[in-house]
Amino acid sequence: MTEPEANLSKTYDAVIVGSGAAGGMAAHVLTSHGLQVLLLEAGKKLPIEQELRSMEWPYDNAHRGDLPPESHALTFNEYTIRNPPYGAGFEKARHLRSYVGNSDYVKNIVVDERENPFTGTNYAWVRARCLGGKTNIWGRLALRLSDYDFKAKSRDGFGEDWPISYSDIAPYYDKVDLYLGIMGVKENLPHLPDGIFQRPQKLNCAEVTLKQSLQKMGRVLTQYRAGVTSEGLKHNKYRSRCYGRGSCERKGGCDIHAAFDSPTGLIYPAMDTANLSLRTNAVVREVTVDPQTGKASGVHFIDAQTMKDYTVRAKVVVLAASTLESARLLLLSKSRSHANGLANSSGHVGHNFCEHIMGPGVTGRAKDLVGKPSTLDDGRPGGFYLTRFRNLSEKHPKFIRGYGFEGGSGCRMFPSGTDVHGFGASFKEEVRKNQGAYIGMGAFGEVLARYENYVDLDPVVKDKWGIPALRFHYKFGDNEHRMAEDMKETAQEMFEAAGFEIVHVRSRVLTEGWSIHELGTARMGDDPKTSVLNQFQQSHDVQNLFVVDGSGFVSASCQNPTWTIMALCWRSCDYLADEFRKGNL
Amino acid sequence: MSSNDPVDLRQDRREWLKSSAAALGASLLPLPALSGEQPQTATPPSKPAASSAPNKPAGRFFTPAQHALVEELSETIIPADSHSGGAKAAKVADYIEQFLSETDDDNQKALWREGLRLVDLMSRHYHQKSFVDSGPEERIALLQVLSDNDHMTDLPEVRFFIELKRLTVRGYYTSKIGIHAELDYKGNRILQEYVGCDDQGTSS
Repeated sequence: MTEPEANLSKTYDAVIVGSGAAGGMAAHVLTSHGLQVLLLEAGKKLPIEQELRSMEWPYDNAHRGDLPPESHALTFNEYTIRNPPYGAGFEKARHLRSYVGNSDYVKNIVVDERENPFTGTNYAWVRARCLGGKTNIWGRLALRLSDYDFKAKSRDGFGEDWPISYSDIAPYYDKVDLYLGIMGVKENLPHLPDGIFQRPQKLNCAEVTLKQSLQKMGRVLTQYRAGVTSEGLKHNKYRSRCYGRGSCERKGGCDIHAAFDSPTGLIYPAMDTANLSLRTNAVVREVTVDPQTGKASGVHFIDAQTMKDYTVRAKVVVLAASTLESARLLLLSKSRSHANGLANSSGHVGHNFCEHIMGPGVTGRAKDLVGKPSTLDDGRPGGFYLTRFRNLSEKHPKFIRGYGFEGGSGCRMFPSGTDVHGFGASFKEEVRKNQGAYIGMGAFGEVLARYENYVDLDPVVKDKWGIPALRFHYKFGDNEHRMAEDMKETAQEMFEAAGFEIVHVRSRVLTEGWSIHELGTARMGDDPKTSVLNQFQQSHDVQNLFVVDGSGFVSASCQNPTWTIMALCWRSCDYLADEFRKGNL
Repeated sequence: MSSNDPVDLRQDRREWLKSSAAALGASLLPLPALSGEQPQTATPPSKPAASSAPNKPAGRFFTPAQHALVEELSETIIPADSHSGGAKAAKVADYIEQFLSETDDDNQKALWREGLRLVDLMSRHYHQKSFVDSGPEERIALLQVLSDNDHMTDLPEVRFFIELKRLTVRGYYTSKIGIHAELDYKGNRILQEYVGCDDQGTSS
């Protein structure tokens, strides 16, 4: 792999801002069409294998894998009792991280909260500024959306339909499956379409018990559909197949890259085309606009380390900085012809912000597994996914849309059940005998995309580079809270029906942002008055500007977004390249 | 004291604090404020603790007597049994000492110093000897008082017990003895095939 230097004196065909799932995919697709592409990443390129150390034993780590003492990661309590910016009150900590940064393996991947402040309502905003972004540590659940999502308004009247149908994106889901690898089992569900799956992992016995019990209720539990290659990818020399090693549920990523990450899955292969240049430490602060044509002409960025200002020229600008950062960039890019921010004639940039609500769930114990010898249950990308069952064929009286559960069971490197009461010989024996019998799951539910949930720019607070910070105006609404109540009840019912002893039912809703599935701040649509992007994630206002991350989502669905972000991005970039060749951009 | 008698910790602690004050004369220091959410005053960033390599001896936080006490306390939380070694063999006291020597959390440090003192006062009150000099049943009986009252989190000795258990659990189950000897953990190795239930259930 050659890593060509960015040449700032030339005009690139396209500049891409952000190197995560969307930016990596844009780089892959555009370079494969022969465009000369510059990829900008705000953070640095980390020696990622040295960070992740997927097979390190806790006792071989100076702090047993925990965050070193000079750093602090925000806790649920702290998100609740403090307000953004979260820096105040943590003066002793040299580095302050979001809740995800609470591990020695993740500490350098997520940003320092104090360098990257935001204001407004509470939000657990997890950001990873490094090559590959959050794909270095993502949860890997790789799900498709369906017309239950794309045409949700037609079903229940709320919000807007997407400007595409499943049939438009299905071929691109197939391409993503084949290019990046996905494990799973076909289930023939209209609301969770199957993919082109590689060899699945196996369920363990408590999970099979739950699956069979759910079948009687007409509900479906399937093996965790993981964006992980179990059979290898002949076309990719940077990734290994999954060997079921490591403790995959530990916070961190996969240091052999069996789990998809953007650098090894997309960016390094794109560099091999010789059409891709990369510049890291490039903090983009503005999309520049040609005052004559009103078109985007490139970007301004600040070198994260030297603080020097640079300009890049490009014929097409592709934003892939993440849902919230891309919205921030559009709002920052004010000019005479775009006083409201770029691509914002509709006034919808930053609005219709949505995600997944999480927190409610259940932990149970499979009594027949208590006292059994320990089993090998981790080294799997995940346990199971219990698919949506609300508001499909019937209408729930209390809320619209749906939710699914992620869960798993069995022995782990650090045992479950150490929070039981007591101490001494009986405590020790109880932890040992029950370690393989626990099963748990937690829900992810659709948060409705509402105009009044939005972000804008803080008039005062700036980040380390002097760039205005984002200000949140975002709260879960009644529909989400009613749904959360139902999540808790159904979780308990399903575990009871499966014969599990209920250990703990969780009703607490986690802080907004916890799912790390923020979406929808520059939604797609056919009407330029009520949407920011068209169906190809192209700005209605600025024809050579594309926003290819989660910003374009019209609704959140309850299914995890990464695979859809990449499929949409592929489709949009195919269109972009075609239009580019025709001279239409 | 027998473990069958319910102990009123709130009532009893007046007694053991009083008797110890008499025994120790005027040397008993007033209890420091230990509330968990007291406002933090802005202080300049402290110098980060040097991160210690895995094999270096833990930084010092305890006196030798305190270290010995923590060893016995942690062993009472997770004792050796016929199955595997306990917290002492797993060097949990060293883990806790390193944690406390490196943390910036002064409340946590104060809680440990105070907690160790209070546990010994309790031991002298109930058993007329220090915790280290007590027999196994006396040690268990003493921690049972704290465990039974672990909802009384306004009391420093209760908060100390909760932290003692938390750090003992963390230190023990991340140790070689905890992971391998005690739990017989089978992961973190390369597999030919995913392991799971033989019967995967019929497809939906």
